Amino acid sequence: MATGISKNILLVDDNPLFLKILSQAFTTAGFNCYTAASGTEALDRLHTFKPDVILSDYEMPGMNGLEFRLNVLQIDALKEIPFLFLTAHEDEGIMYTGLNLQAIDYVLKTTPFDVIVAKLNNLLHTVSKQREITEKEIRKTVAALNIKTVPATLPKLNGFEVDFWHRSYQNIPGGDFIDFIDTKSYLFIVIGDLMGKKWDAWFYTFTYLSYIRAAIRFSVITNDTTTLAGILQQINVVVCQDEGLTNILSSLSLVRIEKQTGKVIYSGAGDLPLLHYRPDTQELTQINSTGMLLGVLPDGFYTEQEIIMAPSDQLFIFTDGLIDISSGGRQKTDYRYFADQMAGYLQAGQSFTNIKDNLRQQAAGLTDDSSIIYIQKTNVHA
Amino acid sequence: MYMLKIINEHSEHIVAKVAITEANLNYSNHFKTELVSLLDSKRRAIWLDMEQVSYVDSSFLGSLVAGLKHALSAGNDMVLLKVQKDVHDLLKLIRLDKVFKIYTDEASATIAINKG
Repeated sequence: MATGISKNILLVDDNPLFLKILSQAFTTAGFNCYTAASGTEALDRLHTFKPDVILSDYEMPGMNGLEFRLNVLQIDALKEIPFLFLTAHEDEGIMYTGLNLQAIDYVLKTTPFDVIVAKLNNLLHTVSKQREITEKEIRKTVAALNIKTVPATLPKLNGFEVDFWHRSYQNIPGGDFIDFIDTKSYLFIVIGDLMGKKWDAWFYTFTYLSYIRAAIRFSVITNDTTTLAGILQQINVVVCQDEGLTNILSSLSLVRIEKQTGKVIYSGAGDLPLLHYRPDTQELTQINSTGMLLGVLPDGFYTEQEIIMAPSDQLFIFTDGLIDISSGGRQKTDYRYFADQMAGYLQAGQSFTNIKDNLRQQAAGLTDDSSIIYIQKTNVHA
Repeated sequence: MYMLKIINEHSEHIVAKVAITEANLNYSNHFKTELVSLLDSKRRAIWLDMEQVSYVDSSFLGSLVAGLKHALSAGNDMVLLKVQKDVHDLLKLIRLDKVFKIYTDEASATIAINKG
């Protein structure tokens, strides 16, 4: 029934024997079981683990099932998790109170295990279906609005090859955004990561992208007198003053390639260091920027620098989803690990197409939006 | 409080432990709410003990910065203590180490802040 659906269950009961039997029955039925012997222990477990469903005894010493439920309901991150009570006997008063606390159902402890398992499977299937329907509706709305946070086509630029790879977390458009702004004299390459949550983040990226596009266009209209660092500072000031964006922060890497000379200028706001690969020496070096995340401080300390690229040199600009790794069941952030991995691919002569394939294969383990832009210099400019 | 456990209360500041190991987007919104409500109710600086936190994602970092901005706007401060190496490395990579005051523990924070 619920094949392919995540089935992590938290069982809470003060009776160790019942907990063990229930846990074995659910494990046999394909669930991943986590157990807690009290409401307090369960709340502790919930600090580090978010189950798909909670099945809790009602009568427990200390914090009883209702009190445990009340605690769970106060936590935004947990209150939507389906919750069922287990009771030793039918008591309409208790059931009524519990159902008022948005408990989905009651299960009598005398119910045969296969019936309890079937109930849980049905429940998870319904929840999953409902989520699918909601997301489908939102996706339809997004498609109708025809607004994108990553470009549909690659820019064409004499003397350079530009490509990118982007994957949104759980296929929900989130905080990462990419843009290529092509003007008469320059190509502007934009990549950022808005520090927010799923659909919320996706919504705010449009405001950010609008400011970024406007700032760049204005700098071009006013004859390019504004430096890249100046553009970042202008965006930052507007973001800091926009009440609608209070506490919405974003990283931003901004690269400008001058079409005639091939000169590459870079400025960054709270972004990860870029990676510059030189095939002749097989060296991969880090390029750091100085600026703060957009929206943190009114003065973001932005500076800019020229990146000297020889023919065949490659430049990689990426967001933090790529440096998250899962190790021994734990999540960690490791820039060095990603840089070493990239060095391995590049020194083995892998093309960006190969690298994208590798990233795609690793993508299942990634827990955030992940984006990378690749720029290779192909010609010598005048 | 669910993610913030008060360890010590002083007249000038309180020390609160961040009781999460993987600080990701599942917790960031609620954490921000708790942090802001703690700042509003205690009306003094908050020192966050980050010892338990082994991972932070960008949305959680956003909540930390939001907390800092809220503290600063009320004339208070926010300090990070016992930040694990991986988390500290990330803060440095994206220059947030220049935004937050980060100390190894409460004793060294007390010395540094009293000096300053």
